[in-house]
Amino acid sequence: MPLTLLECDVPIPEREKHTYIKKSGETIIPRCNVQTTPGDLTERGCTYAGCMGVVGGPVKDVIHLVHGPIGCAYYTWGGGRRQNLSDNTGFHRKYCFSTSMQEANIIFGGEKKLYNAILEAYERFPEVKGVFVYATCVIGLIGDDIDKVCKNASKEIGIPVIAFSCEGFRGVSQSLGHHIANDTIFEKIVGTKEPDYLTPYDINIIGDYNIQGDLWVINPLFEAMGLRIIGTFTGNASIDDIAMVHRAKLNVMHCQRSTPYICQLMEEKYNLPYMPVSLFGIEQTSKALRDVAAFFGLEEKAEKVIEEEVSKILPEMEYYKEKLTGKRVFIYQGAPRAWHWIKLMEELGMEVIGAATTFGHSDDYEKIIERIGDGALVIDNPNSVELKEILIKYKPDLFISGLKEKFLSYKLGVPFVNGHSYERGPYAAYSGFVKFARDMYTTINHPAWKLVEGRA
Amino acid sequence: MSQTKTKRSVTINPGMLCQPIGAMQAVLGVHAAIPLVHGSQGCAAYPMRMFNRHFAEPAEIALSSLGEDAAVFGGADNLVKGVHALAARRHPELIAVVTTCLSETIGDDVDGILRKVDLPVKLVPMHTPSYVGSHVTGYDNAVKALVTHLAEQTGPNSKINVTVGLLDPGDIKELKSMLGMMRVKAIILTDITGAFDAPLILPRPPFPDGGTTVGEIRDTANSIGSIALSKHAGGAAVKYLEMKHKVPMIAGACPIGVENTDAFLDNVSQLTGRPVPDELRKERGRLIDAIIDVQFKVAQKKVAVFADPDVASGMARFVHELGMDPVIVATGTESKEFVKDVQAIASQTGHEIEIILGCDLYELHEAIKRVGVDLLMGNTHGKSIADDEKIAFARLGFPVYDRVGYQRIPIIGYNGGINLVDRIANAILDHADAA
Repeated sequence: MPLTLLECDVPIPEREKHTYIKKSGETIIPRCNVQTTPGDLTERGCTYAGCMGVVGGPVKDVIHLVHGPIGCAYYTWGGGRRQNLSDNTGFHRKYCFSTSMQEANIIFGGEKKLYNAILEAYERFPEVKGVFVYATCVIGLIGDDIDKVCKNASKEIGIPVIAFSCEGFRGVSQSLGHHIANDTIFEKIVGTKEPDYLTPYDINIIGDYNIQGDLWVINPLFEAMGLRIIGTFTGNASIDDIAMVHRAKLNVMHCQRSTPYICQLMEEKYNLPYMPVSLFGIEQTSKALRDVAAFFGLEEKAEKVIEEEVSKILPEMEYYKEKLTGKRVFIYQGAPRAWHWIKLMEELGMEVIGAATTFGHSDDYEKIIERIGDGALVIDNPNSVELKEILIKYKPDLFISGLKEKFLSYKLGVPFVNGHSYERGPYAAYSGFVKFARDMYTTINHPAWKLVEGRA
Repeated sequence: MSQTKTKRSVTINPGMLCQPIGAMQAVLGVHAAIPLVHGSQGCAAYPMRMFNRHFAEPAEIALSSLGEDAAVFGGADNLVKGVHALAARRHPELIAVVTTCLSETIGDDVDGILRKVDLPVKLVPMHTPSYVGSHVTGYDNAVKALVTHLAEQTGPNSKINVTVGLLDPGDIKELKSMLGMMRVKAIILTDITGAFDAPLILPRPPFPDGGTTVGEIRDTANSIGSIALSKHAGGAAVKYLEMKHKVPMIAGACPIGVENTDAFLDNVSQLTGRPVPDELRKERGRLIDAIIDVQFKVAQKKVAVFADPDVASGMARFVHELGMDPVIVATGTESKEFVKDVQAIASQTGHEIEIILGCDLYELHEAIKRVGVDLLMGNTHGKSIADDEKIAFARLGFPVYDRVGYQRIPIIGYNGGINLVDRIANAILDHADAA
């Protein structure tokens, strides 16, 4: 079957190009990475969200100063126990910095206010190692030269002050924000410091944001094989570590939507190769460890780590597999997790009946379509009206998405797991797989679903 | 008494949000209404997430999806296309176009654009540039826009209008209960219990049941009077109704605590001629009983309150009624009216109150260190201050998402007061246990 038009989309027929039902042998990629249809009730975020919220924000020892009216800063404040964990909890994500632009600043320009704000923030938190300044929509319109202000401020306070031109309206989604953050960090931070010493076994983990501590279960696996991690990008990252990542021997790339840019830039400039990996589920995690081990000639060590880790979780996984086999799941994620997790669901005997992404590009959809079964729905940038239709029509046993879709799913009687910031994670690697499976099992079998009036 | 106002260029841990989210909350209290944000993607996605976290409910918010082209050439095409798409797919009764810093700076003539749209749906423009005011003024502007565009004199209706402000579904239920006991018919502006206190029953209706209807908003011009529970968030609407439609208005203190609730009920009585019934007198008696019961647990404790202006000033008086000492009263929204309100409380009660205006939480934290405080009351973001200073913490305001259920528990009226007595006393007891 070709592209299809959902019933709710009859008034906006352009959505047909974004909606595809998989058929083997076809090479159709749904339309993606384009401007959202106005008024369609999209779930997407903005360029600022991709730059500050996803890539920049996790850096743990810099001031994240948002240049604009107050809302943009407020909305990215905190995160608490749920996302982007770091070991600098006394500062990171505890404080929220903004220039809180007022009408007069919009009329007369905000450069002076920004300069003063940088100095004042640094004066109060002199232990920080840098300042990241993020431009919001209105800054692009009034034309503040934030690069110049940041250079001057950096001279004054003697630490890096880095401008990110990530005005919300620039891109069609969060995706351009990732790209801007990659380019800016590469250009202004990577290569500005040297490690004390080098080993032949130095790697970076690129594209993991330490959601509920993912990195704290990922890193030990590589370390157990004898590898040293110079930097992570950007979960629990120090700006100093990012400054030295160019000296690693290999970039291990997890999120393949938000970070291929910096991996390619490092490959070009420093001849530093990168290796895309999936660190979800037993099969994919084991393959990642084997691939990385083969690069360094550490195959035996990898096998030992894999055997040890798998044996630890196997009994529990068998239990969950038995319980979850045959369950039908609809996955809607930012982009790569939608395809990372198709394999993971297969390992549990589950059927992925649909996959969607918020900001995927065609390479993400190629991977989804290659992995997903015939007849499954693949939809780009689904909006809440479409999601409602899909959940009612396809009746999945489980919907995996983010907070904005969570309560909609509940209200439609569909069991739900938050795949963005997790429920009781972390979900990565071996031990995370057990937690992921347990959460899926928990919601699908929750006794209260049986009590819902009108739920068959 | 002293009044502090930060002179910093940097805001650290803000005490307010921007105007659009306040407007969206007001619109979501209208039945079958959808806010359409005229801005970039984050302007809808972020507020949606904030509502999800605080209310544990879905929130339907549309967007005109302004991109780079719109920033250069204007957003009229996006807006017109957006309104049509939304009307055709969702069939709402009302679409409120909520502007942002982006669309206001581009300079789109939203009112003019909407006038040319011919659709069987009420279109209400709401001007809420993010660089003016706060979420509180955004709410105020939104409710004013609703009555300005809809209210219509047809004939007396023997109801009163009550604008709520940025209170929770629990508060609105309590308000309805009080008015019900007085047998007063009211139009509530706006009633978010439909959207944000919805049952899980299948099939789900196309729009949540409940909420203020468009017809009710139209009818506000015919009411016998209006009361603003939060003068900063809803006050502009009742003023407009008085000016334009001669509906007498009262904008007193937010009914938090004994005297503020007494005054509110007296006002309802005065407008409607209905006496305050025995049932409510008994509720009052229960609140006072609860206050007396905890006196030795809470008396003389020094309290810092930070919240939106009307909740903060209402709370300040209640803190006094509890025999506690309101030493700091802070709000993120700039307002001379707020300063006057708190000054009046200070002079009537004899407390030395430090007022912090346009406050961020960094400023509040510095003040708490300077003054010395036993209990902090405020939203989720106050928790880290209480932890750092090792003082008791009682949650209040928006957003509260580090604990569950706060949106369900009223703080207004006598019953709300009882809830607050328990919350405050238990916070102090829990803190003493942990120490």
